[in-house]
Amino acid sequence: MKIAICSNSQGIKSELAERFGRADYFVIYDLENQDVKTIENKAKNEPSGAGGSAVRSLSKEDVEIILVPELGPKAMDAIKAFEIKAYAYTKGATVENAIEEFKLGKLKELTSNTKEGHHGLRRA
Amino acid sequence: MEIAVLSGKGGTGKTTLATNLAFVQKKCILIDTDVEEPNSHIFLKPKELNRKVITTEYPNVDKSKCVLCGDCGDFCRYNAILPAKNKVLVFKEMCHDCGGCKLVCKHDAIHYEKQEIGSMYFGETAYGFNIKYGDLKVGAVSGVKIIETLKSSLVKEDLIFIDSPPGTSCSTVAAVKDADYAVIVSEPTPFGVSDMKMVVEMLRNMNILFGVVINKAGLGDNEIYEYCEEENIRILGEIPFEKRFARAYANGEILSNVFDEYRNYMQNILNKISN
Repeated sequence: MKIAICSNSQGIKSELAERFGRADYFVIYDLENQDVKTIENKAKNEPSGAGGSAVRSLSKEDVEIILVPELGPKAMDAIKAFEIKAYAYTKGATVENAIEEFKLGKLKELTSNTKEGHHGLRRA
Repeated sequence: MEIAVLSGKGGTGKTTLATNLAFVQKKCILIDTDVEEPNSHIFLKPKELNRKVITTEYPNVDKSKCVLCGDCGDFCRYNAILPAKNKVLVFKEMCHDCGGCKLVCKHDAIHYEKQEIGSMYFGETAYGFNIKYGDLKVGAVSGVKIIETLKSSLVKEDLIFIDSPPGTSCSTVAAVKDADYAVIVSEPTPFGVSDMKMVVEMLRNMNILFGVVINKAGLGDNEIYEYCEEENIRILGEIPFEKRFARAYANGEILSNVFDEYRNYMQNILNKISN
């Protein structure tokens, strides 16, 4: 099973991103064979609907679980429609830390959006 | 003849100028296309207003025909339609009503439904001429359809003043695209000049003739004068920054109705435009 983690750069040691739909990269980690692959988040500069678009790309990579800082309402609708589960990590750590915590069952599953929606690019 | 009043930066005096030019001209119509925040009517005080609801269309997917091929999602520039694993999600508030998803659907699974995005209002102002303005609903993504509706039923022979939205977005382009002449209202501040440069570029790209009115003259610096000279841009007039103007404006007055000299500023600008 593949999990995707929002990150600021490439590889397992990279810093976790502070947002999902507009994260720079997704690190994809295979729980069975520990393979690591990083993909660029092409949705990050979309005029609108970056979250939904990112979920669609991850689904094409056969991702079934995403580790995220938070999720907006449209991204939440999207993961349900793509049958993907989302777990929230604590910001400020690395991708590797988030994977470890997930494996230990420390991360909480998100079942409703954790932040309000907004339209279009929003600079942090 | 259609005269668009625009600015780039907000708050430079588009509405003040558009309403006062119309007031002095008398035989004309004013169209407020700043549908996100229309305010010309506050000054022109129409007695009675008619309302027309404006709608746009958004896709609805017939599950029995959809094969989840993904073509609609690949096409949509705004991610308003998202083909997923078990269904197609539609975010109707993000839809720009382009009609593309239905065109690319090979399975005839998409039809359109209507959603209200705002209203058009029209009536006679307290000063005898007509006004039309639009009001976009909070959360609606684009006012272009309302602006197009506002401009669709105009008689070309009328003298038309367009109070445009700020900036150089799709809404501004829709507001000014048929203009015979554009009046840029700018203020002599760095911010005012910076935003005005984008408007100049836009109007030149659209091949629309224009001139500049410097509002709140006396504030800021000389950059606007230097820029206009370098770029060979005609200055149609200057309106000084004065507290009594600001006070009357804040009371919802038409300044030309209160101050003779203001009426003269407007008359001079109108004369220069007609030359």
